[in-house]
Amino acid sequence: MGFKGLSESSVRFLLGAGAVAGFFLVWEFLLTYVFVFNPFFITKPSLMWGATGDLILSGELWKDIYVSGTPFVFGFAAAVVIGIPVGVVMGWRRRVAFTLDPFLTALYASPLVALAPLLIVMFGVGVKGKTILIFLLAVFPFIFNAFAGVRSVDNLLINVVRSLGGKERDLYFKVILPSTLPYLVAGARIAIGRGIVGIIVGEFYAASEGIGHALIWFGDMYQLAHMFVCILVLMIIAVIFTQGLRKAELAIAPWRTQETR
Amino acid sequence: MEPYIRSTDITLTFTPKNRDAVTALKDFRIELNSGEFVSIVGPSGCGKSTFLNVLLGLLKPDKGEMEIGGKKITGPGVERAMVFQEFGLLPWRTVLANVELGPELKGESVASRRPRAQELINLVGLTGFEGHFPHELSGGMKQRVGLARALATDPEVLLMDEPFAALDAQTRDLMQAELLQIWDKHKKTVLFVTHSIEEAAYLSDRVIVMTKRPGRTKRIIKINLPRPRGYEMRLSPEFNDIKLDIWNNLKDELNARE
Repeated sequence: MGFKGLSESSVRFLLGAGAVAGFFLVWEFLLTYVFVFNPFFITKPSLMWGATGDLILSGELWKDIYVSGTPFVFGFAAAVVIGIPVGVVMGWRRRVAFTLDPFLTALYASPLVALAPLLIVMFGVGVKGKTILIFLLAVFPFIFNAFAGVRSVDNLLINVVRSLGGKERDLYFKVILPSTLPYLVAGARIAIGRGIVGIIVGEFYAASEGIGHALIWFGDMYQLAHMFVCILVLMIIAVIFTQGLRKAELAIAPWRTQETR
Repeated sequence: MEPYIRSTDITLTFTPKNRDAVTALKDFRIELNSGEFVSIVGPSGCGKSTFLNVLLGLLKPDKGEMEIGGKKITGPGVERAMVFQEFGLLPWRTVLANVELGPELKGESVASRRPRAQELINLVGLTGFEGHFPHELSGGMKQRVGLARALATDPEVLLMDEPFAALDAQTRDLMQAELLQIWDKHKKTVLFVTHSIEEAAYLSDRVIVMTKRPGRTKRIIKINLPRPRGYEMRLSPEFNDIKLDIWNNLKDELNARE
């Protein structure tokens, strides 16, 4: 078609951006000309545009992002720092895995958001309670994916490093961790989604600020345009993190991205 | 002369989970002189590779011990290095970083290991590919990296576990000739495991023919062909006689059923 001479990445961007723009246009069109518009039931992009302006100009949006983002960053970072070593050691030391497995499996399988009210009671509605909730939700993908990654390590490479005089520490850093990297990236994708669930649930109960709280509050007030903006903001945050992850993978694992392309 | 590598009767049994125990080696004994090129041929599963892993220090035998230069082998050591059949290159490392692995694990500084790694890369004919990752290389090139990596720790003994088995026939011929050149220049002791009678006859000073599992030495055949050996030598009647001799020793082991 008309894409000759464009690089694949520009085609990708044009098609992607075009699809998003088209989606909003169709939405606007349908609610303006086709269906009867009921603002208590649904909103449309033009109203959301105004609501975005509102939220930005009043400074509320930034404040909410900051309030929600802080525990997200803390909780996610803690999930990385704790989850990866736990998963790697579990994968490499079977007895550690046997010991921890019942707890982890039970916690991963159960709806941890059920713990949210308890955590709020114990740690309050501030940064602490939300950080712990987000951590709990995000840590398991890291543990289990690191575990799976270690189990998949090529034994030959272990023998190579051992035969050249490598110690346990060298095995971890020169073989196990690099082989586990693709699994960790996949785990991080899942963890981002779960972490965002943590933000919202953490702010459902008794919170007075944050994106999750704003979402609920605007819903209660039937300010659907504002509510949708909050949903969009959460989506955008998730997309930014996922894209950042892709970029980070490119930077730290050039051998992989060349392989898969 | 005292042999450089010597083993008492080595016995090793594997007991895999939910399977019957397998005796891979039974009273296997070997003597290698310094600087010698020795090949081991034998039927599949006769314990050739197992023996290399014992010598490398990765497996402990149930019975018997090995000595190298008068010292008992208790684990991996710098005087031994292995070239693996499936190359065993770290996919996340460039050619240069793979070659430097051994010295790096020994704690050598970049300044001292880099020039040597570069020298070896040149030696195996990979100049210009230092920054490539393994998946960008052909099989022959990968095994050149494997060879350079093994040489990087400057071992006395090179253990080679069917190193050319995964390569196509022409690349294989080429690599064999290059290995002989490198061996001639660096005077390593080489223990070479192979399935190929031709390869064993062409490369070695002596060929050890092993029995079927549990593996023991069936015969040791001395290859009295002059060196350096060229490709033409492979077409000579003497060479064919040697191949036939190896084959006659090996064939009963291949036919035998347990």
